[in-house]
Amino acid sequence: MSSSEETTKGSGIPEEGTEHVCELDRNVEILRRVDTFAGLPLERLKVYALLCHRLRIEKGQFLFQQGEPADKAYVVIEGKAQIIRQYEDHSFIVHELHPGDFFGGLALLANVKRLFGVRAAEDLELLSIDRESFRKILRQFPELIEKILDVMIGRIVATEEKLLEYHIHECVIH
Amino acid sequence: MILKKSLWSWALTRCRGLQALLLLLIVFTVFFRVFPLEMQKRIVNEAIRFRKIDTLFLYCGLYMGAVLLAGILKYAINVLQGYIGQKILLEMRTGLYQHVLQLPIGFYRRTPPGMVISALTSEISSVAEFLGSAVAVPVVNVLTLGTFGAYMFYLNPLLALLSLSIYPFEIAIIPFLQRRFNRLNSQRVTERRAMSNAVGEAVSGIHEIHANASYQLESEKVARFAKKLFQLRHRMNLFKFGIKFTNNFFQSLGPFLLFLLGGYYSIQGHFSLGALVAFLSAYEKLYDPWKELMDFYQNYQNAAVSYGRIQEAFDVQPEFRLLARDKKLVALSGHLQVEDLFFDVHGKIRLLEQINLELQPGQRLALVGLSGSGKSTLAMILAQLYRYEHGHVYLDHHELRELAKAEVIPHLGFVAQYPFIFDGSIRENILYGCRALSTVAGKTAPDDDPGSEEILHMVDQVGLTDDILRFGLNSLVGADCCQDLVHKVIRARHRLHDAWGLELADCVEFFQKGTFMEHSSIATNIVFGYPSGEGRPCEILPKSPRFRAFLQEKGLLEPLLALGLDVSRRTVPLMRDLGDDPFFFQQSPIPPEELDLYQAIMEHYKEEHPAFQPRDVEPLLALALRTVPGKHKMVTVPRELRAKILEARPLFRDYCSRKDPEAFVYYSENEYLHSRTLLDNLLFGRLKEDGSWAWDKVMKAVVDLLHEEDLYDRVLELGLEFQVGSKGDRLSGGQKQKVGIARALLKKPRLLIMDEATASLDMASQHRIQHYLDVELRGKATVVSVAHRLETIRDYDLIAVMKSGQIVEMGRYQELMEKRGLFYELVRGND
Repeated sequence: MSSSEETTKGSGIPEEGTEHVCELDRNVEILRRVDTFAGLPLERLKVYALLCHRLRIEKGQFLFQQGEPADKAYVVIEGKAQIIRQYEDHSFIVHELHPGDFFGGLALLANVKRLFGVRAAEDLELLSIDRESFRKILRQFPELIEKILDVMIGRIVATEEKLLEYHIHECVIH
Repeated sequence: MILKKSLWSWALTRCRGLQALLLLLIVFTVFFRVFPLEMQKRIVNEAIRFRKIDTLFLYCGLYMGAVLLAGILKYAINVLQGYIGQKILLEMRTGLYQHVLQLPIGFYRRTPPGMVISALTSEISSVAEFLGSAVAVPVVNVLTLGTFGAYMFYLNPLLALLSLSIYPFEIAIIPFLQRRFNRLNSQRVTERRAMSNAVGEAVSGIHEIHANASYQLESEKVARFAKKLFQLRHRMNLFKFGIKFTNNFFQSLGPFLLFLLGGYYSIQGHFSLGALVAFLSAYEKLYDPWKELMDFYQNYQNAAVSYGRIQEAFDVQPEFRLLARDKKLVALSGHLQVEDLFFDVHGKIRLLEQINLELQPGQRLALVGLSGSGKSTLAMILAQLYRYEHGHVYLDHHELRELAKAEVIPHLGFVAQYPFIFDGSIRENILYGCRALSTVAGKTAPDDDPGSEEILHMVDQVGLTDDILRFGLNSLVGADCCQDLVHKVIRARHRLHDAWGLELADCVEFFQKGTFMEHSSIATNIVFGYPSGEGRPCEILPKSPRFRAFLQEKGLLEPLLALGLDVSRRTVPLMRDLGDDPFFFQQSPIPPEELDLYQAIMEHYKEEHPAFQPRDVEPLLALALRTVPGKHKMVTVPRELRAKILEARPLFRDYCSRKDPEAFVYYSENEYLHSRTLLDNLLFGRLKEDGSWAWDKVMKAVVDLLHEEDLYDRVLELGLEFQVGSKGDRLSGGQKQKVGIARALLKKPRLLIMDEATASLDMASQHRIQHYLDVELRGKATVVSVAHRLETIRDYDLIAVMKSGQIVEMGRYQELMEKRGLFYELVRGND
């Protein structure tokens, strides 16, 4: 089962720019490739890009653990990460994250706990945005709410569908 | 009790020596007030009439001397009066405050703080004004009046009788007006208190006001009172000036009579001209003491109104004695017994009913139940915060109600759900209980305070060490203190660079002479230091003509102005639609209030390389200089400009050391930078981002380093000096609670009462404190804990489950679980 409820595949990552491209523009390029933000007008996307933060995680370190309270979503800029589902006595690597992948988006909508842990499989560079910034922007520009919610709901519907398929599959087997 | 005294007893029993001196001075002045009149008469009658120059000089000299002396005496009298009044005020105010502080919590529930403040500040000071003059003014003025009156009789009894006959009319009319005035004045006190309350409430509820934008609503509330005050004040003025008018009218009737009759007698030759002049003077002089008496009368009435209102507002007895009659409780075992305890408020609402329980010394009791079940009330009664009337609480077999505060406090630790944090340092807040103890016990030497070691141990036990460390590392060390610390930090800095430099390069930007610093402003990049006076380089430099001359000379001015324009072009369109929410502007080099300015500039220059007008130079330069490339993400600094700035750095230093060597402090590996934090000094650099991941990584290295260099405790001690702000506003909820717990535990109490004391703590801190209670306090203190997280009370000796003011179940955790009653429900509901 894929954990697509909280992650989306990106389509690669833009080249690290020259000195003359500012960090803001580079962040914009990264966000544009994430479906949640792709439909936004450029000048609003820039506000998101402004409030993003970059961070680096060394190989082997956890970005967060399953069950922790969550208030940030991330895009992978460089490196590889693993999504890990933890159980009492063992854990699974559920999925691998690559540059351009977006994950943790539910944290932007509500105060939820992490459904999985994320560990850096290589040295990892990430772009993060926190719930407060995300919501403040929506409050400032309410016309964005619809666009963003459409994408997010679409994704939740897809997950639901997958889950149902999975159940049917299970039933057939048993 | 301080408020039982009458106003006059304050005036007559305080500063008696000074009051006597005052009276003596007054008798002298009265003499020197009459004396010039006699001189006047003699100057006219003897010197002028008989053309005696010598006598004229003599009398004029005497006249002058008497007037001068009278003036000096008057000055001394005024000073003395003021001193006496303020001295009594001091005693009254401190006494009243002491009384007010001891009043029961119930009193404060119905008394808003604004009223207390109003009473202690403005109302009471009007009383003092009167008290200073209470003895002297009536005596001096009655005496003066009498003397002038007698002198007038001596000159001409008939005229004197006539001119004094107007006073009885005044004495009849004025008190009538004054009574009306007093009634209004009393109303004014009420309204003014109400207004103070409304303002006080708005200040403490400012969050709610901002959240609802209820500015209009709130200002209307105050405006209502202000309007009432305006009307009252206006009506008071009608009476006040009515009294003045009556006074003046009768006063001016006097000369009318005098001229008429005196003139007639003079023409008839019954009365000398000199005597008439003196008589007129004397009558004029009557005016002053009479007016002063009138003012005194009004002051007295105002003071009586204020004092009466204060008396009536605070006429409440403290619930517990402060000092013990006989020291019953020197040592305490911690045995606690509650017998048939009932507790009512307002005489009818029953909060506790028939509570019975017993705790042996060192045992632990948990009070649980839904909110409103009375568990907090019970805890507060046990902590002597409320006085119970029915039933018994025995502390070591002494009735708690009858014990004085001084007997209970040394053995009692109380932690409220939201401990109150006072303005001051963390250290002062943690020591609060111990310091209060030493004043209650009669000791005032602060040497008895627990030492830093003990405080830090307690800080560690409650899990506050990391926070204190952070405060310590973020503190500024002044140039005039801690030389040893400064040297150690510089040594540690070198050690850090050698051992962790490479590892930390990821999250720390070190100050390096030859490197452009992304996370410092352009100004700092040029100066590579900071101004030795007040202000940041990016605020001072753009205004300095010398600095501009330097930039011009090195060919930096044009590129910096171009950068400023570029920053405006990139920032203004981005931020323009974001309102003025400071949240968005954290990342903006242009604050919301300057957006318009830079928008205008930006629109003025359309071409790529414009010629800048002189008036735009300062704002553009300022913007360029304050830009921090690593923080303001919309900005890029061209590579050529970076190179130029690096080139200019040593040149700037040379340039300044020639012109003004003291103006800047330059970053140097071997100097402590006093305007930067301790952490910046240790790193000799700054954190690239505020993110916690960078902080954790840096902290690991820094803590190791501090231990190695024997600096760890020193930094913690600095952290203890962190100023928490009013009501501890600069601390988080959890930090406040930890400070409150440390405050109570530092007293080493035999009886510890905690009212949901760990409610705003995270799990880890909660376990840590539980561990302290389990291990360090086990058997040493009797603990009563109002608990909301039930898994923490598994091995308590006794759990009392409360519902509607009664204990419905009592026993140990396991027993209660097996019983499957209310406790079982609560535990299950908690999951």
